[in-house]
Amino acid sequence: MSADCQKTTSRAIPTRRVTINDAAHMPHDYSTTPGGTLFSTTPGGTRIIYDRKFLLDCRSSPVARTPPRCLPDIPGVTRPPSVHINNDKAHPPEQSLNNNCSTHTDKIAGEDAQFEMDI
Amino acid sequence: MATSEPREAEAEAETETEEGTTEPTLPAVASSEQYIKHPLQNRWALWYFKNDKSKSWTENLRLIAKFDTVEDFWALYNHIQQPSKLGFGCDYCLFKDGIKPMWEDDRNKLGGRWLMTLSKQQRHNDLDRYWMETLLCLIGESFDEASEDVCGAVVNVRPKGDKIAIWTGNCQNRDAIMTIGQQYKERLSVPVKALIGYQSHDDTSSKSGSTTKNMYTV
Repeated sequence: MSADCQKTTSRAIPTRRVTINDAAHMPHDYSTTPGGTLFSTTPGGTRIIYDRKFLLDCRSSPVARTPPRCLPDIPGVTRPPSVHINNDKAHPPEQSLNNNCSTHTDKIAGEDAQFEMDI
Repeated sequence: MATSEPREAEAEAETETEEGTTEPTLPAVASSEQYIKHPLQNRWALWYFKNDKSKSWTENLRLIAKFDTVEDFWALYNHIQQPSKLGFGCDYCLFKDGIKPMWEDDRNKLGGRWLMTLSKQQRHNDLDRYWMETLLCLIGESFDEASEDVCGAVVNVRPKGDKIAIWTGNCQNRDAIMTIGQQYKERLSVPVKALIGYQSHDDTSSKSGSTTKNMYTV
């Protein structure tokens, strides 16, 4: 606020009366009223929207580098808590977990291939 | 989760970062900004399903974790296997808190799903990428008003080809469903010619043959 603000006079918000004679004159969107008023918020408040880039930028946040507390131990799904995320592409700790999983899938994949040959 | 107190401040910080580029380019000094969590519109629950035939369907369904901030989502995502590493017969399901990942839930039973059917080759090329995009669409509320209709998403890892679907709450809400389908297809960069279909859960559960009819396609 600047100190030299001038006194303003008040006046009524301009309104316009629109007469509807036919349902076809009603707008398609709930967010508009006849004549075209736009509301900047949705009825329940403003929706929290994040675009793709913003979400991806948050991926490396320090807060996202540690697993959630109370993450259940599910073999083949949750990683061992000691694995640091920076390791995950380059390095091994992950492999021990992957091994479990891939022997499992290999086995099934084998079965699947055989199944197809039978047909 | 200890995320509720600083919400007001977070919401303000978030609008700044979305437009400007100040925050992401900050030097790696441990500023308190880095520890801010960004609230999501919804709280979400991630479920894991493992097909163990000795157990019932519901016994095989297990809640992994719930989250309601962007950072808590990544903390979870960064510490679980990608879908392509799951065993056959396994699923991940991400649903809004309070909606069970099953047709029978009150908020699903009148609904249906946009279904992406992947070829076997796509497991290596597309599956993990598609699933991550799907998750980002959901938690970021990418479908504007139609996001209200979204119940969740499911990835099925199957020998014959994997599937990813976005579930919505009412198969009669044509406008919302079409908005979701069109924007989803665009986000995944699916070729325009490749059609994806929307099927009601009712049709899926009562189908007689191997295919379910599409109520809508994009």
